[in-house]
Amino acid sequence: MDALRIFLDGANRNRTLFVLLVGFALFPIYTGIADLPFWNDLAMRIMLLGLAAMGLNLVLGYGGMVSFGHAAFVGVGAYCVGISQYYGLFNGWIHILMALGACGALGLVIGYLALRTSGIYFIMITLAFAQMLFFLFVSLEQFGGDDGMSIDRAEFIIIDLWEPLRLYYLIWAALALSSVLLMFIVRSRFGVVLQAIRSNESRVEAMGLAPLPFKITGYVISAMICGLAGALFASWQEYVSPDIMHWTRSGELMIIIILGGLGTLSGPLLGAVVFLLLEEILPEVMHVVAPSYAENWMIVFGPILIAVVLFARGGLMGLVHQMTGRRR
Amino acid sequence: MLRLHEVEAGYGSAQVLFGVSFAIEAGACVSLMGRNGMGKTTTVRTIMGQLPLRGGSIDRFGDATPGRESFELARAGIGLVPEGRQIFSNLTVVENLSTFHRPARDGETLWTMDTVLDLFPRLRERLGHAGNNLSGGEQQMLAIGRALMTNPRLLILDEATEGLAPIIRQQIWDCLAMLKAAGQSILVIDKNIGALARLADHHCILEKGRVVWQGDSAALRADPQLTSRYLGV
Repeated sequence: MDALRIFLDGANRNRTLFVLLVGFALFPIYTGIADLPFWNDLAMRIMLLGLAAMGLNLVLGYGGMVSFGHAAFVGVGAYCVGISQYYGLFNGWIHILMALGACGALGLVIGYLALRTSGIYFIMITLAFAQMLFFLFVSLEQFGGDDGMSIDRAEFIIIDLWEPLRLYYLIWAALALSSVLLMFIVRSRFGVVLQAIRSNESRVEAMGLAPLPFKITGYVISAMICGLAGALFASWQEYVSPDIMHWTRSGELMIIIILGGLGTLSGPLLGAVVFLLLEEILPEVMHVVAPSYAENWMIVFGPILIAVVLFARGGLMGLVHQMTGRRR
Repeated sequence: MLRLHEVEAGYGSAQVLFGVSFAIEAGACVSLMGRNGMGKTTTVRTIMGQLPLRGGSIDRFGDATPGRESFELARAGIGLVPEGRQIFSNLTVVENLSTFHRPARDGETLWTMDTVLDLFPRLRERLGHAGNNLSGGEQQMLAIGRALMTNPRLLILDEATEGLAPIIRQQIWDCLAMLKAAGQSILVIDKNIGALARLADHHCILEKGRVVWQGDSAALRADPQLTSRYLGV
Protein backbone atom coordinates (compact mmCIF):
# COMPACT_ATOMS: atom_id res chain seq x y z
CA MET A 1 0.00 0.00 0.00
CA ASP A 2 2.94 2.25 0.65
CA ALA A 3 4.09 1.73 -2.91
CA LEU A 4 0.61 2.63 -4.16
CA ARG A 5 0.64 5.84 -2.11
CA ILE A 6 4.05 6.82 -3.49
CA PHE A 7 2.84 5.98 -6.98
CA LEU A 8 -0.27 8.14 -6.71
CA ASP A 9 1.65 10.98 -5.14
CA GLY A 10 4.30 10.72 -7.85
CA ALA A 11 1.66 10.64 -10.58
CA ASN A 12 0.17 13.77 -9.11
CA ARG A 13 3.55 15.52 -9.01
CA ASN A 14 4.37 14.51 -12.56
CA ARG A 15 1.08 15.12 -14.26
CA THR A 16 2.73 16.16 -17.51
CA LEU A 17 4.44 12.78 -17.76
CA PHE A 18 1.26 10.83 -17.18
CA VAL A 19 -0.75 13.03 -19.51
CA LEU A 20 1.84 12.32 -22.21
CA LEU A 21 1.81 8.59 -21.47
CA VAL A 22 -1.99 8.44 -21.70
CA GLY A 23 -1.79 10.52 -24.86
CA PHE A 24 0.64 8.07 -26.46
CA ALA A 25 -1.54 5.15 -25.40
CA LEU A 26 -4.58 6.65 -27.12
CA PHE A 27 -2.78 8.12 -30.13
CA PRO A 28 -3.08 5.02 -32.40
CA ILE A 29 -6.87 5.17 -32.04
CA TYR A 30 -6.80 8.64 -33.57
CA THR A 31 -4.35 7.71 -36.32
CA GLY A 32 -6.42 4.59 -37.01
CA ILE A 33 -9.59 6.61 -37.54
CA ALA A 34 -7.83 9.37 -39.47
CA ASP A 35 -5.75 6.82 -41.40
CA LEU A 36 -2.38 8.44 -40.70
CA PRO A 37 -0.02 5.48 -40.11
CA PHE A 38 3.01 7.70 -40.66
CA TRP A 39 2.26 9.51 -37.41
CA ASN A 40 2.39 6.23 -35.50
CA ASP A 41 5.89 5.87 -36.78
CA LEU A 42 6.81 9.33 -35.56
CA ALA A 43 5.19 8.66 -32.20
CA MET A 44 7.30 5.51 -31.80
CA ARG A 45 10.44 7.49 -32.62
CA ILE A 46 9.47 10.11 -30.05
CA MET A 47 8.84 7.47 -27.39
CA LEU A 48 12.17 5.75 -28.10
CA LEU A 49 14.19 8.97 -27.96
CA GLY A 50 12.21 10.03 -24.90
CA LEU A 51 13.04 6.73 -23.21
CA ALA A 52 16.76 7.12 -23.93
CA ALA A 53 16.65 10.74 -22.76
CA MET A 54 14.93 9.63 -19.54
CA GLY A 55 17.77 7.21 -18.95
CA LEU A 56 20.40 9.87 -19.52
CA ASN A 57 18.45 12.32 -17.35
CA LEU A 58 19.02 10.13 -14.29
CA VAL A 59 22.74 10.94 -14.40
CA LEU A 60 22.62 14.29 -16.19
CA GLY A 61 19.65 15.90 -14.49
CA TYR A 62 19.41 14.16 -11.14
CA GLY A 63 23.05 13.24 -10.55
CA GLY A 64 24.64 16.28 -12.21
CA MET A 65 27.03 14.06 -14.17
CA VAL A 66 27.42 15.44 -17.69
CA SER A 67 27.84 12.23 -19.66
CA PHE A 68 28.52 13.02 -23.29
CA GLY A 69 28.49 9.46 -24.55
CA HIS A 70 25.14 7.94 -23.81
CA ALA A 71 24.30 7.28 -27.46
CA ALA A 72 26.92 4.53 -27.20
CA PHE A 73 24.62 2.61 -24.85
CA VAL A 74 21.68 3.08 -27.21
CA GLY A 75 23.92 1.73 -29.97
CA VAL A 76 25.14 -1.24 -27.97
CA GLY A 77 21.53 -2.08 -27.13
CA ALA A 78 20.63 -1.95 -30.81
CA TYR A 79 23.63 -4.01 -31.87
CA CYS A 80 22.69 -6.64 -29.26
CA VAL A 81 19.62 -7.28 -31.40
CA GLY A 82 21.53 -7.19 -34.70
CA ILE A 83 24.36 -9.44 -33.56
CA SER A 84 22.01 -11.96 -31.89
CA GLN A 85 20.04 -12.20 -35.11
CA TYR A 86 23.28 -12.64 -37.06
CA TYR A 87 23.88 -15.73 -34.95
CA GLY A 88 20.31 -16.94 -35.42
CA LEU A 89 18.80 -15.82 -32.14
CA PHE A 90 15.42 -14.23 -32.81
CA ASN A 91 13.71 -14.17 -29.44
CA GLY A 92 13.02 -10.53 -28.58
CA TRP A 93 12.93 -11.11 -24.83
CA ILE A 94 16.43 -12.51 -25.01
CA HIS A 95 17.52 -9.50 -27.09
CA ILE A 96 16.23 -7.18 -24.42
CA LEU A 97 17.91 -9.15 -21.64
CA MET A 98 21.15 -9.09 -23.57
CA ALA A 99 20.89 -5.35 -24.18
CA LEU A 100 20.23 -4.75 -20.48
CA GLY A 101 23.11 -7.03 -19.48
CA ALA A 102 25.61 -5.67 -21.98
CA CYS A 103 24.79 -2.03 -21.23
CA GLY A 104 24.79 -2.68 -17.50
CA ALA A 105 28.24 -4.28 -17.65
CA LEU A 106 29.57 -1.61 -20.00
CA GLY A 107 28.07 1.13 -17.83
CA LEU A 108 29.78 -0.39 -14.80
CA VAL A 109 33.20 -0.40 -16.47
CA ILE A 110 32.89 3.05 -18.08
CA GLY A 111 31.28 4.50 -14.97
CA TYR A 112 33.91 3.03 -12.68
CA LEU A 113 36.70 4.55 -14.76
CA ALA A 114 35.08 7.84 -15.80
CA LEU A 115 33.53 8.74 -12.45
CA ARG A 116 36.96 9.09 -10.92
CA THR A 117 37.06 12.40 -12.71
CA SER A 118 34.56 15.24 -12.75
CA GLY A 119 33.68 18.37 -14.66
CA ILE A 120 35.20 18.79 -18.10
CA TYR A 121 37.36 15.67 -17.69
CA PHE A 122 34.31 13.52 -17.11
CA ILE A 123 32.67 14.96 -20.24
CA MET A 124 35.76 14.22 -22.32
CA ILE A 125 36.26 10.69 -20.96
CA THR A 126 32.65 9.66 -21.54
CA LEU A 127 32.92 11.10 -25.05
CA ALA A 128 36.16 9.20 -25.59
CA PHE A 129 34.60 5.88 -24.56
CA ALA A 130 31.64 6.53 -26.83
CA GLN A 131 33.95 7.28 -29.75
CA MET A 132 35.91 4.09 -29.06
CA LEU A 133 32.71 2.07 -29.25
CA PHE A 134 31.60 3.97 -32.35
CA PHE A 135 34.81 3.11 -34.21
CA LEU A 136 34.74 -0.43 -32.88
CA PHE A 137 31.42 -1.00 -34.64
CA VAL A 138 32.60 0.88 -37.74
CA SER A 139 35.50 -1.55 -37.96
CA LEU A 140 33.40 -4.72 -37.45
CA GLU A 141 32.99 -5.64 -41.11
CA GLN A 142 31.23 -8.84 -40.13
CA PHE A 143 28.32 -6.81 -38.82
CA GLY A 144 28.18 -4.42 -41.72
CA GLY A 145 30.83 -1.96 -40.55
CA ASP A 146 30.04 1.55 -41.65
CA ASP A 147 26.99 0.46 -43.64
CA GLY A 148 25.28 -1.20 -40.72
CA MET A 149 23.14 -4.31 -40.81
CA SER A 150 19.48 -4.88 -41.43
CA ILE A 151 17.36 -6.40 -38.74
CA ASP A 152 14.16 -8.40 -38.67
CA ARG A 153 11.58 -7.41 -36.17
CA ALA A 154 12.23 -9.71 -33.26
CA GLU A 155 9.84 -12.44 -32.18
CA PHE A 156 8.34 -11.86 -28.80
CA ILE A 157 6.72 -15.27 -28.38
CA ILE A 158 3.38 -13.87 -27.29
CA ILE A 159 3.73 -10.64 -29.21
CA ASP A 160 4.33 -10.90 -32.95
CA LEU A 161 5.88 -7.60 -33.94
CA TRP A 162 4.88 -7.76 -37.59
CA GLU A 163 1.55 -6.44 -36.49
CA PRO A 164 2.60 -2.73 -36.41
CA LEU A 165 0.52 -1.70 -33.41
CA ARG A 166 2.07 -4.44 -31.27
CA LEU A 167 5.50 -2.89 -31.63
CA TYR A 168 3.93 0.45 -30.80
CA TYR A 169 2.49 -0.85 -27.56
CA LEU A 170 5.64 -2.77 -26.68
CA ILE A 171 7.57 0.49 -26.91
CA TRP A 172 4.85 2.24 -24.96
CA ALA A 173 4.99 -0.39 -22.23
CA ALA A 174 8.77 -0.06 -21.97
CA LEU A 175 8.41 3.71 -21.70
CA ALA A 176 5.64 3.51 -19.12
CA LEU A 177 7.46 0.91 -17.02
CA SER A 178 10.70 2.87 -17.12
CA SER A 179 8.84 6.05 -16.16
CA VAL A 180 7.31 4.40 -13.11
CA LEU A 181 10.62 2.76 -12.21
CA LEU A 182 12.43 6.10 -12.45
CA MET A 183 9.69 7.74 -10.42
CA PHE A 184 10.36 5.30 -7.59
CA ILE A 185 14.12 5.57 -8.01
CA VAL A 186 14.32 9.35 -7.76
CA ARG A 187 12.13 9.34 -4.66
CA SER A 188 14.04 6.54 -2.95
CA ARG A 189 16.88 7.24 -0.57
CA PHE A 190 19.27 6.30 -3.37
CA GLY A 191 17.71 8.92 -5.64
CA VAL A 192 17.76 11.57 -2.95
CA VAL A 193 21.45 10.93 -2.27
CA LEU A 194 22.10 11.21 -6.01
CA GLN A 195 20.42 14.62 -6.02
CA ALA A 196 22.33 15.64 -2.90
CA ILE A 197 25.55 14.74 -4.72
CA ARG A 198 24.58 17.06 -7.56
CA SER A 199 23.98 19.84 -5.07
CA ASN A 200 27.15 19.39 -2.99
CA GLU A 201 29.26 16.28 -3.31
CA SER A 202 31.81 17.03 -0.59
CA ARG A 203 28.98 17.71 1.86
CA VAL A 204 27.50 14.27 1.15
CA GLU A 205 30.88 12.82 1.93
CA ALA A 206 31.14 14.82 5.15
CA MET A 207 27.73 13.39 6.12
CA GLY A 208 29.24 9.91 6.03
CA LEU A 209 28.34 8.58 2.58
CA ALA A 210 30.90 7.73 -0.09
CA PRO A 211 29.53 9.30 -3.29
CA LEU A 212 31.22 6.99 -5.82
CA PRO A 213 29.03 3.87 -5.34
CA PHE A 214 25.89 5.98 -5.68
CA LYS A 215 27.18 7.65 -8.84
CA ILE A 216 28.24 4.35 -10.41
CA THR A 217 24.89 2.74 -9.61
CA GLY A 218 23.07 5.67 -11.17
CA TYR A 219 25.29 5.45 -14.22
CA VAL A 220 24.61 1.73 -14.64
CA ILE A 221 20.82 2.14 -14.36
CA SER A 222 20.95 4.99 -16.84
CA ALA A 223 23.04 2.94 -19.29
CA MET A 224 20.58 0.02 -19.02
CA ILE A 225 17.58 2.22 -19.81
CA CYS A 226 19.42 3.58 -22.86
CA GLY A 227 20.23 -0.01 -23.85
CA LEU A 228 16.55 -0.94 -23.63
CA ALA A 229 15.69 2.03 -25.84
CA GLY A 230 18.38 0.91 -28.28
CA ALA A 231 17.11 -2.68 -28.49
CA LEU A 232 13.60 -1.47 -29.28
CA PHE A 233 14.99 1.13 -31.66
CA ALA A 234 16.62 -1.64 -33.68
CA SER A 235 13.30 -3.47 -34.01
CA TRP A 236 11.52 -0.26 -34.97
CA GLN A 237 14.09 0.82 -37.54
CA GLU A 238 14.72 -2.75 -38.81
CA TYR A 239 18.26 -1.61 -39.31
CA VAL A 240 21.25 -0.62 -37.21
CA SER A 241 24.43 1.20 -38.12
CA PRO A 242 27.16 2.95 -36.13
CA ASP A 243 25.38 6.21 -36.91
CA ILE A 244 23.04 5.48 -33.98
CA MET A 245 25.99 5.95 -31.62
CA HIS A 246 27.58 8.94 -33.30
CA TRP A 247 28.51 11.66 -30.81
CA THR A 248 25.93 14.02 -32.30
CA ARG A 249 23.29 11.52 -31.12
CA SER A 250 24.58 11.93 -27.57
CA GLY A 251 24.29 15.67 -28.06
CA GLU A 252 20.75 15.26 -29.35
CA LEU A 253 19.77 13.40 -26.17
CA MET A 254 21.27 16.18 -24.07
CA ILE A 255 19.44 18.86 -26.07
CA ILE A 256 16.16 16.97 -25.61
CA ILE A 257 16.67 16.87 -21.84
CA ILE A 258 17.68 20.51 -21.54
CA LEU A 259 14.80 21.54 -23.78
CA GLY A 260 12.31 19.57 -21.70
CA GLY A 261 13.74 20.32 -18.28
CA LEU A 262 16.80 18.93 -16.50
CA GLY A 263 16.16 16.79 -13.45
CA THR A 264 12.41 16.41 -13.97
CA LEU A 265 10.64 13.16 -14.73
CA SER A 266 8.43 14.66 -17.42
CA GLY A 267 11.11 16.80 -19.05
CA PRO A 268 12.84 14.24 -21.30
CA LEU A 269 9.61 12.94 -22.80
CA LEU A 270 8.16 16.42 -23.27
CA GLY A 271 11.49 17.48 -24.77
CA ALA A 272 11.43 14.55 -27.20
CA VAL A 273 7.87 15.40 -28.25
CA VAL A 274 8.71 19.04 -28.96
CA PHE A 275 12.14 18.33 -30.47
CA LEU A 276 10.93 15.74 -32.97
CA LEU A 277 7.72 17.58 -33.80
CA LEU A 278 9.73 20.71 -34.56
CA GLU A 279 12.08 18.62 -36.68
CA GLU A 280 9.06 17.33 -38.59
CA ILE A 281 7.01 20.50 -38.85
CA LEU A 282 9.63 23.21 -39.34
CA PRO A 283 10.69 22.06 -42.83
CA GLU A 284 7.04 22.05 -43.87
CA VAL A 285 6.48 25.52 -42.48
CA MET A 286 9.65 26.79 -44.12
CA HIS A 287 8.47 25.29 -47.36
CA VAL A 288 5.40 27.51 -47.27
CA VAL A 289 6.98 30.65 -45.80
CA ALA A 290 10.32 30.68 -47.58
CA PRO A 291 10.45 27.88 -50.15
CA SER A 292 14.01 28.58 -51.25
CA TYR A 293 15.26 28.16 -47.68
CA ALA A 294 13.24 25.03 -46.83
CA GLU A 295 16.35 22.90 -46.69
CA ASN A 296 17.86 25.22 -44.12
CA TRP A 297 15.09 24.81 -41.54
CA MET A 298 17.77 24.36 -38.89
CA ILE A 299 18.40 28.11 -39.10
CA VAL A 300 15.08 28.49 -37.31
CA PHE A 301 15.41 25.35 -35.18
CA GLY A 302 18.68 26.46 -33.54
CA PRO A 303 17.46 29.86 -32.34
CA ILE A 304 14.28 28.26 -30.95
CA LEU A 305 16.38 25.90 -28.83
CA ILE A 306 18.62 28.75 -27.71
CA ALA A 307 15.59 30.86 -26.81
CA VAL A 308 14.20 28.08 -24.62
CA VAL A 309 17.51 27.67 -22.83
CA LEU A 310 17.90 31.42 -22.34
CA PHE A 311 14.38 32.42 -21.40
CA ALA A 312 12.73 29.36 -19.91
CA ARG A 313 14.61 28.50 -16.75
CA GLY A 314 14.22 24.79 -16.23
CA GLY A 315 13.27 24.18 -19.87
CA LEU A 316 9.71 23.55 -20.99
CA MET A 317 8.87 21.95 -17.64
CA GLY A 318 9.94 25.24 -16.05
CA LEU A 319 7.31 26.96 -18.22
CA VAL A 320 4.72 24.33 -17.31
CA HIS A 321 5.42 24.86 -13.61
CA GLN A 322 5.26 28.63 -14.00
CA MET A 323 1.88 28.36 -15.68
CA THR A 324 0.49 25.97 -13.09
CA GLY A 325 2.12 27.98 -10.31
CA ARG A 326 4.21 25.19 -8.91
CA ARG A 327 7.90 25.13 -8.17
CA ARG A 328 8.84 21.48 -8.19
CA MET B 1 37.73 12.04 22.11
CA LEU B 2 39.71 14.29 19.78
CA ARG B 3 43.38 15.12 20.14
CA LEU B 4 45.35 17.35 17.76
CA HIS B 5 49.11 17.27 18.08
CA GLU B 6 51.28 19.77 16.20
CA VAL B 7 48.92 19.69 13.24
CA GLU B 8 50.16 21.29 10.02
CA ALA B 9 47.97 21.78 6.96
CA GLY B 10 47.32 24.19 4.11
CA TYR B 11 46.19 24.75 0.57
CA GLY B 12 48.62 24.19 -2.28
CA SER B 13 51.85 26.00 -1.54
CA ALA B 14 50.25 28.09 1.21
CA GLN B 15 50.67 26.56 4.63
CA VAL B 16 47.98 27.72 7.02
CA LEU B 17 48.43 25.64 10.18
CA PHE B 18 51.88 25.57 11.79
CA GLY B 19 51.44 23.19 14.69
CA VAL B 20 47.98 23.30 16.23
CA SER B 21 47.55 21.27 19.40
CA PHE B 22 44.49 20.93 21.56
CA ALA B 23 42.20 18.21 22.83
CA ILE B 24 38.54 17.63 23.53
CA GLU B 25 37.50 15.20 26.24
CA ALA B 26 34.23 13.28 26.09
CA GLY B 27 31.30 15.46 27.07
CA ALA B 28 33.34 18.65 26.92
CA CYS B 29 32.63 21.78 24.95
CA VAL B 30 35.68 23.49 23.48
CA SER B 31 35.75 26.74 21.55
CA LEU B 32 38.13 27.78 18.83
CA MET B 33 38.60 31.52 18.47
CA GLY B 34 40.65 33.85 16.36
CA ARG B 35 40.42 36.56 13.74
CA ASN B 36 39.58 35.85 10.15
CA GLY B 37 42.29 33.99 8.27
CA MET B 38 43.98 32.54 11.36
CA GLY B 39 43.14 28.94 10.49
CA LYS B 40 39.90 28.08 12.29
CA THR B 41 38.07 26.63 9.31
CA THR B 42 41.28 25.05 8.04
CA THR B 43 41.60 23.28 11.40
CA VAL B 44 38.03 21.99 11.09
CA ARG B 45 38.56 20.84 7.52
CA THR B 46 41.71 18.99 8.55
CA ILE B 47 39.91 17.30 11.44
CA MET B 48 37.15 16.31 8.99
CA GLY B 49 39.65 14.84 6.54
CA GLN B 50 38.75 17.33 3.83
CA LEU B 51 42.33 18.64 3.82
CA PRO B 52 45.34 16.35 4.02
CA LEU B 53 47.38 16.35 7.18
CA ARG B 54 50.88 17.64 6.39
CA GLY B 55 52.45 17.25 9.79
CA GLY B 56 51.62 16.22 13.33
CA SER B 57 48.79 13.86 14.16
CA ILE B 58 45.07 13.81 14.87
CA ASP B 59 43.67 11.18 17.18
CA ARG B 60 39.92 10.78 16.62
CA PHE B 61 38.17 8.49 19.10
CA GLY B 62 41.44 6.62 19.70
CA ASP B 63 42.22 6.18 16.01
CA ALA B 64 45.17 8.22 14.74
CA THR B 65 45.47 6.61 11.30
CA PRO B 66 46.32 9.38 8.83
CA GLY B 67 44.63 9.68 5.44
CA ARG B 68 41.13 8.63 6.45
CA GLU B 69 38.43 9.71 3.98
CA SER B 70 35.94 12.23 5.31
CA PHE B 71 33.02 9.83 4.93
CA GLU B 72 34.85 7.33 7.16
CA LEU B 73 35.42 10.05 9.76
CA ALA B 74 31.77 11.07 9.61
CA ARG B 75 30.79 7.44 10.16
CA ALA B 76 33.24 7.20 13.04
CA GLY B 77 31.19 9.92 14.72
CA ILE B 78 32.15 13.43 13.65
CA GLY B 79 29.17 15.60 12.78
CA LEU B 80 30.10 18.86 11.10
CA VAL B 81 27.84 21.89 10.79
CA PRO B 82 29.82 23.69 8.11
CA GLU B 83 30.43 27.38 7.64
CA GLY B 84 27.73 28.80 5.38
CA ARG B 85 25.34 25.98 6.37
CA GLN B 86 25.56 24.20 2.99
CA ILE B 87 22.02 22.92 2.99
CA PHE B 88 21.18 20.68 0.05
CA SER B 89 19.13 23.35 -1.66
CA ASN B 90 17.41 20.94 -4.09
CA LEU B 91 16.19 18.61 -1.34
CA THR B 92 13.28 19.18 0.99
CA VAL B 93 13.70 19.60 4.74
CA VAL B 94 12.59 15.99 5.28
CA GLU B 95 15.04 14.70 2.70
CA ASN B 96 17.88 16.81 4.12
CA LEU B 97 17.27 15.19 7.50
CA SER B 98 16.20 11.62 6.82
CA THR B 99 18.70 10.79 4.08
CA PHE B 100 21.67 10.94 6.40
CA HIS B 101 20.16 9.40 9.50
CA ARG B 102 22.47 6.95 11.18
CA PRO B 103 21.96 5.21 14.51
CA ALA B 104 24.55 5.77 17.21
CA ARG B 105 27.61 3.53 17.02
CA ASP B 106 27.50 2.86 20.73
CA GLY B 107 24.90 3.53 23.36
CA GLU B 108 21.42 4.72 22.63
CA THR B 109 20.32 6.47 19.48
CA LEU B 110 19.32 9.85 20.81
CA TRP B 111 18.51 11.59 17.53
CA THR B 112 15.74 10.55 15.20
CA MET B 113 13.49 12.60 12.95
CA ASP B 114 11.11 13.10 15.86
CA THR B 115 13.64 14.24 18.43
CA VAL B 116 15.34 16.59 15.96
CA LEU B 117 11.98 18.15 15.06
CA ASP B 118 11.18 18.48 18.76
CA LEU B 119 14.43 20.39 19.14
CA PHE B 120 13.56 22.67 16.19
CA PRO B 121 9.75 22.93 16.02
CA ARG B 122 10.15 25.56 13.28
CA LEU B 123 11.37 22.86 10.92
CA ARG B 124 8.29 20.76 11.53
CA GLU B 125 6.23 23.45 9.79
CA ARG B 126 8.59 23.45 6.80
CA LEU B 127 8.98 19.71 6.17
CA GLY B 128 8.00 19.77 2.49
CA HIS B 129 9.86 22.97 1.62
CA ALA B 130 13.00 22.90 -0.48
CA GLY B 131 16.19 23.82 1.34
CA ASN B 132 16.56 27.06 -0.62
CA ASN B 133 13.10 28.24 0.46
CA LEU B 134 14.12 28.55 4.10
CA SER B 135 15.23 31.62 6.00
CA GLY B 136 18.83 31.81 7.18
CA GLY B 137 17.84 30.84 10.70
CA GLU B 138 15.81 27.87 9.53
CA GLN B 139 18.68 26.77 7.31
CA GLN B 140 21.00 26.91 10.31
CA MET B 141 18.59 24.83 12.37
CA LEU B 142 18.39 22.38 9.49
CA ALA B 143 22.19 22.21 9.24
CA ILE B 144 22.44 21.44 12.96
CA GLY B 145 19.56 18.98 12.79
CA ARG B 146 21.11 17.26 9.80
CA ALA B 147 24.38 16.81 11.69
CA LEU B 148 22.54 15.51 14.76
CA MET B 149 20.71 12.94 12.62
CA THR B 150 24.02 11.13 12.25
CA ASN B 151 24.13 10.78 16.05
CA PRO B 152 27.66 12.17 16.20
CA ARG B 153 30.00 11.54 19.09
CA LEU B 154 31.59 14.92 18.41
CA LEU B 155 29.63 17.84 17.02
CA ILE B 156 31.62 20.57 15.27
CA LEU B 157 30.00 23.92 14.53
CA ASP B 158 31.78 26.37 12.25
CA GLU B 159 30.33 29.89 12.63
CA ALA B 160 26.87 28.59 13.40
CA THR B 161 25.48 31.99 14.37
CA GLU B 162 27.04 34.05 11.60
CA GLY B 163 24.65 36.30 9.72
CA LEU B 164 21.60 35.52 11.85
CA ALA B 165 19.20 37.89 13.61
CA PRO B 166 19.97 38.32 17.33
CA ILE B 167 16.85 36.45 18.43
CA ILE B 168 17.68 33.47 16.22
CA ARG B 169 21.27 33.56 17.46
CA GLN B 170 20.04 33.28 20.99
CA GLN B 171 17.92 30.27 20.02
CA ILE B 172 20.99 28.58 18.54
CA TRP B 173 23.04 29.30 21.69
CA ASP B 174 20.24 27.95 23.89
CA CYS B 175 20.09 24.86 21.73
CA LEU B 176 23.85 24.30 22.06
CA ALA B 177 23.62 24.71 25.82
CA MET B 178 20.91 22.04 25.86
CA LEU B 179 23.03 19.70 23.76
CA LYS B 180 25.98 20.21 26.06
CA ALA B 181 23.85 19.55 29.12
CA ALA B 182 22.75 16.31 27.44
CA GLY B 183 26.39 15.23 27.33
CA GLN B 184 27.20 16.02 23.69
CA SER B 185 30.89 16.72 23.00
CA ILE B 186 31.16 19.93 21.02
CA LEU B 187 33.81 21.93 19.19
CA VAL B 188 32.44 25.37 18.44
CA ILE B 189 33.87 28.19 16.36
CA ASP B 190 32.37 31.62 16.75
CA LYS B 191 33.13 35.31 17.08
CA ASN B 192 30.82 36.00 20.03
CA ILE B 193 33.23 35.76 22.96
CA GLY B 194 30.61 36.40 25.63
CA ALA B 195 28.38 33.57 24.46
CA LEU B 196 31.34 31.22 24.03
CA ALA B 197 32.57 31.98 27.55
CA ARG B 198 29.14 31.02 28.89
CA LEU B 199 28.89 27.84 26.81
CA ALA B 200 32.34 26.29 26.50
CA ASP B 201 34.55 24.84 29.24
CA HIS B 202 37.80 25.32 27.43
CA HIS B 203 38.96 27.86 24.87
CA CYS B 204 41.72 27.91 22.28
CA ILE B 205 42.82 31.06 20.50
CA LEU B 206 44.40 30.68 17.07
CA GLU B 207 46.84 33.22 15.70
CA LYS B 208 48.60 32.68 12.38
CA GLY B 209 48.09 28.94 12.42
CA ARG B 210 49.16 28.33 16.01
CA VAL B 211 47.31 27.99 19.29
CA VAL B 212 48.61 30.99 21.21
CA TRP B 213 46.42 30.69 24.26
CA GLN B 214 44.33 28.01 25.97
CA GLY B 215 42.34 28.17 29.14
CA ASP B 216 38.97 27.95 30.80
CA SER B 217 36.22 30.52 30.80
CA ALA B 218 37.34 32.10 34.08
CA ALA B 219 40.83 32.68 32.70
CA LEU B 220 39.36 34.08 29.47
CA ARG B 221 37.21 36.56 31.35
CA ALA B 222 40.07 37.46 33.72
CA ASP B 223 42.35 38.69 30.97
CA PRO B 224 40.71 41.39 28.84
CA GLN B 225 44.04 41.88 27.08
CA LEU B 226 43.51 38.56 25.28
CA THR B 227 40.45 39.82 23.51
CA SER B 228 42.04 42.99 22.24
CA ARG B 229 45.32 41.33 21.30
CA TYR B 230 44.03 38.27 19.47
CA LEU B 231 40.39 38.79 18.73
CA GLY B 232 39.77 42.52 18.34
CA VAL B 233 39.25 43.94 14.93
